[in-house]
Amino acid sequence: MKISELALREPVVIGCDATVADTAALMASSGVGSVIVLDGQTPVGIVTDRDIVTRGVARSYPPDGRIDGLMSMGLIAVDADHDLAGLVHAFRDHAIRRIPIIDHDRVIGVVSLDDIVVHVTDELSTVSRVLAGQIMFPHATDEARTPSPA
Amino acid sequence: MFAQVGDELIIEGHEVGRPRRVGRVEEVRGDDGGPPYMVRWDDTGRATLLFPGSDCRVVHLADTPAGTEES
Repeated sequence: MKISELALREPVVIGCDATVADTAALMASSGVGSVIVLDGQTPVGIVTDRDIVTRGVARSYPPDGRIDGLMSMGLIAVDADHDLAGLVHAFRDHAIRRIPIIDHDRVIGVVSLDDIVVHVTDELSTVSRVLAGQIMFPHATDEARTPSPA
Repeated sequence: MFAQVGDELIIEGHEVGRPRRVGRVEEVRGDDGGPPYMVRWDDTGRATLLFPGSDCRVVHLADTPAGTEES
């Protein structure tokens, strides 16, 4: 399955010169817990609500300080035409919880580890329903398919 | 930041317990050697796209004196 087939959430982005307060307000209004930080049109980092708490509030970083002082630098991303296994590898290899998805060098969405868990759970649920159906209503055709001795 | 295919890219570990990461640039997607870069990481052998931050540096292997790994 290609990553592009997942239900990608629109990326929420902010400029690297925005303040911490602006970023927190954007998270609140957008209902997200992470924001991609851009320098011009180029992604340069990602900041989460946890970053704001642990790197900002806990260390008395001023609310009017620049958000790029709190963000995680070095953004790991994955192309939209990669398969899901590649995405899972990226989560594991880089010990991160959110990965921007890129199409033609543009961020088209963000996938979180939670999204993968939900997707896999949905898939398992579908398989489970099929299995339950087969257990409850076994195919009569099994016998019908077996040629009876002449 | 400027890189070419074959250059080494290093992300310094700036947190306790997080080691530096080293990879090789396999593809340059930006204009004039700019990011993003497709980097194959030495520790996993797998490649990901990287928009480098200021904690990243590029070692231009073509300019590295023989016998050394970093300039």
